[in-house]
Amino acid sequence: MRFIIPAAPARSLRLAAAALAFTALPSAWGQTATDLRGIWEARNTANANLESTHVIIDPPNGKIPYLPGALATRKQNFRNRATADPETRCFQPGVPRATYLSSPFQIFQNARAVYIVYQDVHAYRIIYLDGSPHNQGLPWAMGDSRGHWEGNTLVADVTSFSDATWLDGAGNYHSDELHVVERYTRSARDTLMYEATIEDPLVFARPWKIRMPLRLQTGPGAQILEDECVEDERGVRQHVPPFRGGKPGTSE
Amino acid sequence: MAAFNVEGQIQGDNGPGGASVIADPPDGKLPYLPAARAQANENAAHRERDPVGHCHMHGVPRSMVPPFPIEIVQDSDYLALLSETEHSVRIIPLDGRPHLKNYWSWAGDSRGRWEGDTLLVDVAGLNGKTWLDQAGNFVDQNEHVVERFTMTGPDTILYEARVDDPTVYSRPWTLRVPLRRQPQGTELIEYDCIEGERDEVHYPGSSSQKP
Repeated sequence: MRFIIPAAPARSLRLAAAALAFTALPSAWGQTATDLRGIWEARNTANANLESTHVIIDPPNGKIPYLPGALATRKQNFRNRATADPETRCFQPGVPRATYLSSPFQIFQNARAVYIVYQDVHAYRIIYLDGSPHNQGLPWAMGDSRGHWEGNTLVADVTSFSDATWLDGAGNYHSDELHVVERYTRSARDTLMYEATIEDPLVFARPWKIRMPLRLQTGPGAQILEDECVEDERGVRQHVPPFRGGKPGTSE
Repeated sequence: MAAFNVEGQIQGDNGPGGASVIADPPDGKLPYLPAARAQANENAAHRERDPVGHCHMHGVPRSMVPPFPIEIVQDSDYLALLSETEHSVRIIPLDGRPHLKNYWSWAGDSRGRWEGDTLLVDVAGLNGKTWLDQAGNFVDQNEHVVERFTMTGPDTILYEARVDDPTVYSRPWTLRVPLRRQPQGTELIEYDCIEGERDEVHYPGSSSQKP
């Protein structure tokens, strides 16, 4: 007996189909389900500062519409960003920030869900497509994601956030009232258009929206690498990539 | 409960009791070299040093015997293992690509292939910093693992890991556990392990723990 394998098309068929549309996915995956699988990455500087890029498409001035009382916290975060950014201390990156980090992520799919595995601290999300309700009352760094297809677009509704993550490295932040609606549209074979509408009544005066293209890593050996967190001798948590040399502890 | 001691243990201060999950050697004991057995005993006396207690990934095969569930996602190109524990992930390419060179990591570098109805996974590039359980059983940087995943029924997988580590063990040994499918609708929940700075004080058995 074998693992239950959704009848994913063979590689050669998939490439052939890609020339026309993307892929004929198994019908059990959803009538309009689109093949989002692959290793994707944002190639922009949104992670450093959302407002310094052109990714904020609403409001039209490209500025995050903070409530007057929330700006002071953002300014304080900015001043302390070298030590206070939760991402650099290896906390899970949160949503939507996980999407536009400087590291890639890999999407897997089946009939039940779309799975996103981020290289950053091996965080992952499961976007359930089965109509199940949100979890309530559990504050999670990566939120609780429930999705559906609107045509060829995956729409993910994300709630149940903690307030432990930032939106970028410049101190833009949110509370645990954050609510994000994401839209993933594969607009070309190597392009995934990403949109997120962000609302948080405790921090923002109104919902606002970001949009950016994500690029497919197409190399044959493309692979998500390990990103683990280790405390240094001062007790400060740091991202540590795999050791890339001869075998540890030997002279090989 | 293999998470506590792969060699099995009597129920007590160190967790629930359970049988050894070592299928080979037949006596259920890890075939340590003498010096390595001494190291394992030293580890057992300092469980606060368990890398998992410091929020590190479990390594292989420990990541397959956690006390929390694992979700398997697969297609023709990949099999991914998403663990609730430490939100750790292993992505296993099935396309025949070679191992990464000069790559040493907590979860290793996995390559899978089908042999009949059994998935064989070759795991290299393990950094040797992981333990096998909470009891201090361990491996070093010479660890190499071959895993076998075989469905033995609609809701059961027989998982075997052949572990070779010639600087710790006198011969390869095999861990074997059944994995059982959880009820339909089971969802993984977010697991976050945040090691507070100098957090050793919070670990049971730590010499610095206050009474």
